[in-house]
Amino acid sequence: MAEDNGLSVTLDAQAYDPWAVHQAAYRLSDRLAIQVAIDGNTIQCTLYPVTEGTNSHSLLVARADFLREVTDQMLRARIREATEPVRTLILAYTFSRSGLQK
Amino acid sequence: MTRFLPAEDYLPSGRYELLPFRFERLEGERVLLSNMAGEALTVSSADLTTLVNGDLDRSGALFSRLRANHFLRQPEDRAALELLALKLRTRYARLRDFTSLHLFVVTLRCDHACRYCQVSRQSADRASFDMSRATADRAIDLLFRSPNQALKVEFQGGEPLLNFDLIRYVVLSITERNRQHKRDIQFVITTTLSLISDDTLAFCREHRIVLSASLDGPEDLHNANRPRPGADSHARFVAGLEKARDVLGPEAISALMTTTAASLQRGPGIVDEYLRLGFHGIFLRHLSPYGFALKTKSYQGYDTARWLEFYEETLTYIIDLNRSGVRFTEQHAAIILRKMFSCHDPGYVDLMNPSGAGIAAIVFNYDGGVFASDESRMLMEMGDDTFRLGSVHEHGYDEIFSAPALLSALEDSFTLSAPMCADCACEPWCGADPVYHHARHGDPLGRKAESGFCQRMKGMTRIFIKAMEDPFVAALFRRWALSC
Repeated sequence: MAEDNGLSVTLDAQAYDPWAVHQAAYRLSDRLAIQVAIDGNTIQCTLYPVTEGTNSHSLLVARADFLREVTDQMLRARIREATEPVRTLILAYTFSRSGLQK
Repeated sequence: MTRFLPAEDYLPSGRYELLPFRFERLEGERVLLSNMAGEALTVSSADLTTLVNGDLDRSGALFSRLRANHFLRQPEDRAALELLALKLRTRYARLRDFTSLHLFVVTLRCDHACRYCQVSRQSADRASFDMSRATADRAIDLLFRSPNQALKVEFQGGEPLLNFDLIRYVVLSITERNRQHKRDIQFVITTTLSLISDDTLAFCREHRIVLSASLDGPEDLHNANRPRPGADSHARFVAGLEKARDVLGPEAISALMTTTAASLQRGPGIVDEYLRLGFHGIFLRHLSPYGFALKTKSYQGYDTARWLEFYEETLTYIIDLNRSGVRFTEQHAAIILRKMFSCHDPGYVDLMNPSGAGIAAIVFNYDGGVFASDESRMLMEMGDDTFRLGSVHEHGYDEIFSAPALLSALEDSFTLSAPMCADCACEPWCGADPVYHHARHGDPLGRKAESGFCQRMKGMTRIFIKAMEDPFVAALFRRWALSC
């Protein structure tokens, strides 16, 4: 636990993309306010419950959800990166006959 | 010597390439995948990782499914990209046509005092809340500026039949002017049927006007939701329905229900009432955070999670009816399933991206105000004119349809770039709703993690995916999708 009742999560910046961490933080923003700070090779996250009366167990569950979500976001980033050229190509094909580009 | 090569020679060669797709976790270890065209598959979490790592067994059934549904391609699959592009182009084809639905709010007067009414209504004797012919003429000018060949003109209220003279005037004016324009025009009157008369129906028959009516369920529930003098809303609906079907034919009258807190325990009973009255389907509709629904706190009567419980229970009842041989459709599901099973957009304004506000539907209010959607004018009745695009009396077509209020709302809510939407597997079936998010969160994008709109759409999708594990339901849903 952090001093101000937040829950700390430290991530290795070599292993996790800060963008994925921010994306995960947004996805969980109905339950958690997540402060993200980058310090050298670490990404320091502090998780604060949005609703009052959140107990320590549910905060631990939220931490596990956050870590799973960060992993999902890393996977999404990989898919996005791997498919970027083909995505651009498909969109180009799609609108090539629309007349919108004239 | 054999004349045939071994089967291995026909297996795909080389490293496969991922095609763009998104994923969303379901219950357990299942994951929902959707591609750019909205085609969907569910796989295990482990299979997703194997797929992305490039380690999928190329002789397996999963590989074939993913390849057939355009989630991956072999280097030699040249048609895959063109097929995906074609499907995507079809999905967005409506954009080229621009605005089709034109709503004429011919009066705010109403003989009902519904607790959840989406618009603030006035008492029935206040003619100052009727649309004038001068206003209608200007609205008709704008209607014919739309480039869309297929135009739908929907008369809304209040109770529009309280200003039927104007409806008659608008229909005749449009019909006359259309001799030159030659558009495909459909007229719809949204009505409770409480005031329907033989004269009205004769006019509707002559001009092929269809009726969109309101039925909330059995008599006690309907009357409780829809109070009117005499407490006879349901009886009037039933009498009006019978009369209208006699004159216009059974397919010319549809009905919509609205879920109130009192409806939540009564899903099967509501469906039974629709069946009893000869309807072949129902649209299970939630309350919207506008108008009297907010003022009377009806909207707070249940949250999204509770509505989804109601929805799943009622949908299950409808599925069981079909299983027993009764053909009955849940139309809200059918719209979303059509997006899931085909690349044809059914044109449902609430589930479009870019948002259908303005570019799929436009509202001419009784006083000449032009609004981006029906919900926009409901906001106006609550004192928020954010989505008032102008006035038919003061502004031309170009000014109205390039109003900053419209363009910024469309751009800011665009789901392909909106946070969370951009990587959501439900995005191809969902839509942008800048007016809802403005009303709830104060900006057109909203905060998706807290959005009831987002929760509802994701929740419905999960219900459909789970239900389709049953082959009967999968076949039923395909039938609904294709009939939508």
